[in-house]
Amino acid sequence: MKQYKIAELNVLMNPKYNKLLKHCEAYLSDFEGKENIVATLTDKEIEDHNEKWPNLTLEECEYIWTGASFYEQLLDFQGMVLHASAVALDGNAYLFSAPCGGGKSTHTALWQKKFGKDQAIIINDDKPALRIIDNKFYVYGTPFSGKTDKNTNIKVPLKAICFVEHAPTNSIRKMSAVEALMQIFNQTIRPVESKKMESLISIVDKMLKDIPVYKLGCTISLEAVETSYNAMSK
Amino acid sequence: MKIKEGFMLRNIAGNNVVVAVGKATLDFSGMITLNGSGAFLWSLLQNDTTIDEMALKMCGTYDDVNIETATNDITEFVTKLKGAGIVE
Repeated sequence: MKQYKIAELNVLMNPKYNKLLKHCEAYLSDFEGKENIVATLTDKEIEDHNEKWPNLTLEECEYIWTGASFYEQLLDFQGMVLHASAVALDGNAYLFSAPCGGGKSTHTALWQKKFGKDQAIIINDDKPALRIIDNKFYVYGTPFSGKTDKNTNIKVPLKAICFVEHAPTNSIRKMSAVEALMQIFNQTIRPVESKKMESLISIVDKMLKDIPVYKLGCTISLEAVETSYNAMSK
Repeated sequence: MKIKEGFMLRNIAGNNVVVAVGKATLDFSGMITLNGSGAFLWSLLQNDTTIDEMALKMCGTYDDVNIETATNDITEFVTKLKGAGIVE
């Protein structure tokens, strides 16, 4: 088993395939004391996932379901995953969420174009970890970042969340709590175990009280970045 | 009739929300929000009850509801929950 530090948690993993091994490299860290999370799959489990999803390779199966295991256990540490592209700018994290193909990575790539890649840093392009530390929300890079490989091992305070959809013109508005709630639950991994569901509910409850959630209709343009940045950075 | 095992009603940022856990997640992956009277009826449905019994309790709790309206509203509510596989 190898030792990693992910989202300030001691994690044990045992990557068999190259994809997981490579993605996790930046998170290798010898830790003292006990592990918080063990995320490993047996060969049999990897093969079972592969049988169910034959269009995925064995190494993709290992990568995806190791991530799923990590995120499920994250709920025990005041943390959750949001299916979003997370970008850091001026010490604040902005999350852009959407269903697959919804334009979240495209939008954060435009942030990088507008502000520069050294200023606008992709924390995680697909599945950032969010945690409550000392009563505040933080966004963490993790090795589990979907197809694009874009993730950075940093911790940034969460400023705002935005749900993105394609539109003919650019506009942004604050979402009501009930709208935001539905979207957040649709874009996270819902636990089956009731104790973990209670954790998720308490995190989302605090999130809706503390963090503004927006709805962005946008084109693929730098003007769209101005629309989102101006509203969300206030 | 009563609510099946595996459904929980919780308040999230001022909203009454129902989600499924455990085996119930196999049949129900959605989410339901309830208004105040919906949440009241939900609490009654935690234990085995009938539409008539709920209608009486509703009239006892809400002053502006008569028994006929309550019965109709509750029937509609329960039909929806049965349709979603939440009440048996």
